[in-house]
Amino acid sequence: MNPSNPPQAAEYGGDEVSAIVLDPGYSTTRAGFAGEDAPKSLIPTYYGKYSADGQEKLIYGDDIFVTPRPGLSIHNPIGKDGIVEDWDMAEKVWEYSFTSRLTGAKPGNPFHNGLNDIPAEELPTEMEVELEEKPLADSPLLMTEPAWNPAKAREKTIEIAMEKWGTPAFYLARNGVLAAFASGKASGLVVDIGASNISITPVHDGMILKRGVQHSPLGGDYISSQIRALFQKNSPQPITVTPHYLISSKTAVEAGQPPQAKYRTFAADKAPDASYRALLEERTLSEFKECVVQVWPGPNRLSATAPSGAPNEELARSHPPRPFEFPDGYNQVFGIDRFRVVESLFDVKAAIPDPDSPVPAPTQAQTIPELIKASLGGVDVDIRPHLLANVVVTGGSSLLYGFTDRLNHELMQLFPGPRVRISAPGNTAERRFGSWIGGSILASLGTFHQMWISKKEYEEHGANIVEKRCK
Amino acid sequence: MAAAADVRDMLDLPAEGQPRPAKKQKVVEKRPEGITRELYALLGERAPPIAINENKYKGRPKFMNKLRVRKWCMTPFANQARADGLVLNHWQREHESTRRPAPEPNQMEVDETKEEGKEEAPKTKEQEYAFAKYNIKARLPRRYTDEEYNRHLKSDDWSREETDYLMNLVTEYDLRWVIIADRYDYQRHLDSEPDANAIVPAKQYRTMEQMKSRFYYIAATMLAIEHPPSEMSEAEFALHEQMLKYDPDRERDRKDLAALQLNRTADEVREEAMLLEELKRITSNEQNFITERRELYSRLEVPISVGNTAMYQSSQGLSQLLQTLLQADKSKKRRSILGPEGAIPSPVGQTPTQSTALGRAETPSTTAATKDAKKGPVAPQAQSALRTLTPAEEARYGVQHHERLSGGVQFRSDRAQKLTQAKSNVQTQKLASALAELEIPVRLFMPTERVCKDFEKLIQSVNLLLDARKVSEKVESEIRVLEAARAERERKNAPENPSKDPEHPEVKTEADEGGNSMLGSTAANGTESGGSAEGETGQAKGADAAVDAVPAKPPVKEDGNHKRSASVLSSVSDKSSKRQRR
Repeated sequence: MNPSNPPQAAEYGGDEVSAIVLDPGYSTTRAGFAGEDAPKSLIPTYYGKYSADGQEKLIYGDDIFVTPRPGLSIHNPIGKDGIVEDWDMAEKVWEYSFTSRLTGAKPGNPFHNGLNDIPAEELPTEMEVELEEKPLADSPLLMTEPAWNPAKAREKTIEIAMEKWGTPAFYLARNGVLAAFASGKASGLVVDIGASNISITPVHDGMILKRGVQHSPLGGDYISSQIRALFQKNSPQPITVTPHYLISSKTAVEAGQPPQAKYRTFAADKAPDASYRALLEERTLSEFKECVVQVWPGPNRLSATAPSGAPNEELARSHPPRPFEFPDGYNQVFGIDRFRVVESLFDVKAAIPDPDSPVPAPTQAQTIPELIKASLGGVDVDIRPHLLANVVVTGGSSLLYGFTDRLNHELMQLFPGPRVRISAPGNTAERRFGSWIGGSILASLGTFHQMWISKKEYEEHGANIVEKRCK
Repeated sequence: MAAAADVRDMLDLPAEGQPRPAKKQKVVEKRPEGITRELYALLGERAPPIAINENKYKGRPKFMNKLRVRKWCMTPFANQARADGLVLNHWQREHESTRRPAPEPNQMEVDETKEEGKEEAPKTKEQEYAFAKYNIKARLPRRYTDEEYNRHLKSDDWSREETDYLMNLVTEYDLRWVIIADRYDYQRHLDSEPDANAIVPAKQYRTMEQMKSRFYYIAATMLAIEHPPSEMSEAEFALHEQMLKYDPDRERDRKDLAALQLNRTADEVREEAMLLEELKRITSNEQNFITERRELYSRLEVPISVGNTAMYQSSQGLSQLLQTLLQADKSKKRRSILGPEGAIPSPVGQTPTQSTALGRAETPSTTAATKDAKKGPVAPQAQSALRTLTPAEEARYGVQHHERLSGGVQFRSDRAQKLTQAKSNVQTQKLASALAELEIPVRLFMPTERVCKDFEKLIQSVNLLLDARKVSEKVESEIRVLEAARAERERKNAPENPSKDPEHPEVKTEADEGGNSMLGSTAANGTESGGSAEGETGQAKGADAAVDAVPAKPPVKEDGNHKRSASVLSSVSDKSSKRQRR
């Protein structure tokens, strides 16, 4: 293809109107221009709050990880179930996600930058009107939402987009549908493994089937809690996770030996809040999940026996263990335990008991196979085989090593009759940003532009229009 | 490409002894850009490995500099599929006609362009949005009026409100029943019956079948109201019928079955797969069985010959038949691979001639026959179209006419060699010893065509000879046994004629053995040699030798010859001829 020629619009049905796609999640918020293949702006949904000089200050984005300011506390505007709880802060975090990288700061008023200081008596009066500049005045906005988002939250979302951000057109799409679009399917069963939630969304012809939507809290954070429980039980001594900011220097130690590190200490009035430490511990645990944790790939549960007759645990032990070094220099190899921490996503009996954890112990109905079963039970029997043949796996936690293999085996065991086919992009970015990419595709389609809710329509019908239009 | 080693291997050349002198490589160093030729020549052969010229940005090819960059501009557009006239912006190439190909700094022209551009802008705005045409809705029946509803569509099960709700959903979701059934959430308004508050009405759950049934009923009725069934077009009528015949119960049963099918256990699935496999096997076997049986039947159904076969029992008759068949074959221009006889289905096909054709490659009888046929009236006709060669020329140029060609290339000597290999080792040894006696090498020195032909004849004669010897030995021993038996019997009993009756079976078995064990070739040899003996062609010296070499052969019997079948004919006729000679 000649790069100097643009692709014909009819070739891909695209027509880009420089729309912004905003895909807020519990752990990260993704934003970018529609038509691109990955979100330009990826920020944590967490924000930091501290007070300095008697003023409350907020920090967003990756800055929250960097400096342990005194009294810095970390919050998340989104609740554990994926629904926004703190609307004011959610608005600010989301706004930061696109203003920081996409729309940019509007040029400030030239009279305020100090270069054009003129005597006070000459100040023009009409200047005040211009100060009210909306951040999204010239970009349509496509936002995503979980399939179980209540109507109140949806209305609130369009209110913010229209009134606070001033977008000319808005649309609210379900992230399950978008993830299916990202893998090129209009119908399919979307298995989304996120940070706080896992959800199963049956999608038919680009619309979710509400009765089949299932979700449970066994997401990435639950796995973190299982890892913590594993560390607690570790012998000879329990492992404590010390985040990097508390280490000033360390020396290498042998595997299993107590760490030899110099720790940083903060005075009580200078120390950041416990939530800051939790956030940074979570980062270490993410690294642990990426490097060590592995899903038992099947064919049976970890506690069951393999088709050959040998117990799976024996097979798992025969896998070479994996080493991991903690920020304080402590290091250890993890053998079969690395399979155990995620086994409870499939087999609730395998959960590592942890009475101290804030996360309640899972129930059988919350495991992935049960969720899928319940989800398929809620849809018409005629489309079930089709859904099983189009299982879309998305979400960052689905990148756990061996996850799709296990899911495949579980599904084949649950439904031996119909053909089960899992489509999970191998590309990490495509898996993590599945719903954003689907939104990027959708918002750059020429045929989609009739679906936007325009400002005029919003003013005419009120916030309730989102229920009618974004089905 | 074959490597050099392969070629050497093929040509039986010795392996590469010493490596070939390496070709002088011409080292042509490219003169880097940016250095003049003279300067480069001064550098000598070994230029220092430093970059003398710096990398430059290539930029666009020259011809592109002359092209004008085509402008893109952010254009507002409205989508006709929208009712609210939302205006969005997208990048679009500036319209072609607004550009002037040759920009001359001419004030007039610039003005003109500007004007045109101004005209163009509103035009593009008015242009229909390319994607608006995809905004299509499903074709739905006309909505009923109140009167129509009351007259035709009243139902005990469905209230007017719920029906309206259903119709709205159907319109909203474009008849996607899966979604309609999913989103269906009709709340009955309770304000009309306030006393019903006591009993909280169970939330009515509508299945997709109920909804479909109601909708199809309404649609069919509306169709019938618009066009009475008598006036409907065929398609409309079919649709009407289809919608009226919708049976929710049956559909529900079908879905139950489908659910059952979906929720099978692994064992059931495995069992079903196994059964299916079994079924496949059975059906395929059945097919085999049927074809086999058909084949058998077709064999059984070969018409039984009622004609007199006596005329084919002499070798003359046979060769006559062969000729006629050949002629028929030639006139049909059909070259069968099986040989001339094999192609003609005839009851006589079971005679030794056929087995000849199926057996050894070339036997004198067939070659003779084909030669006859060629020299007969047909061959010249066929050849007259081409340039005819005299036999002398043919011989000179080595032109040969083959009746049939076997695939592939063969050495003539191989063929001759093959003749010396008999079925059994003993026979082969005997052949070899016979050849040794005649001082003829097993491997021919000069296997020209004629030599080969003669060699072939010789081998045949030797074969014949050997057969004859075998037979005679057998017969002799039998005679001895029988004579001993007769002597004994004569001694015991009253005189009778013992020799004649037991003779028959003996000879027959012998003849059968000959026919079976020696296969076609021997039998054919017999025919041939018999023919030669009878027809006085005297072609084979070897045959004569064979006849001469037959060890003293006592006359067995005179009668019974004519009773035998054609397969026996050969050896017997041969025998009888020998006897005649004697």
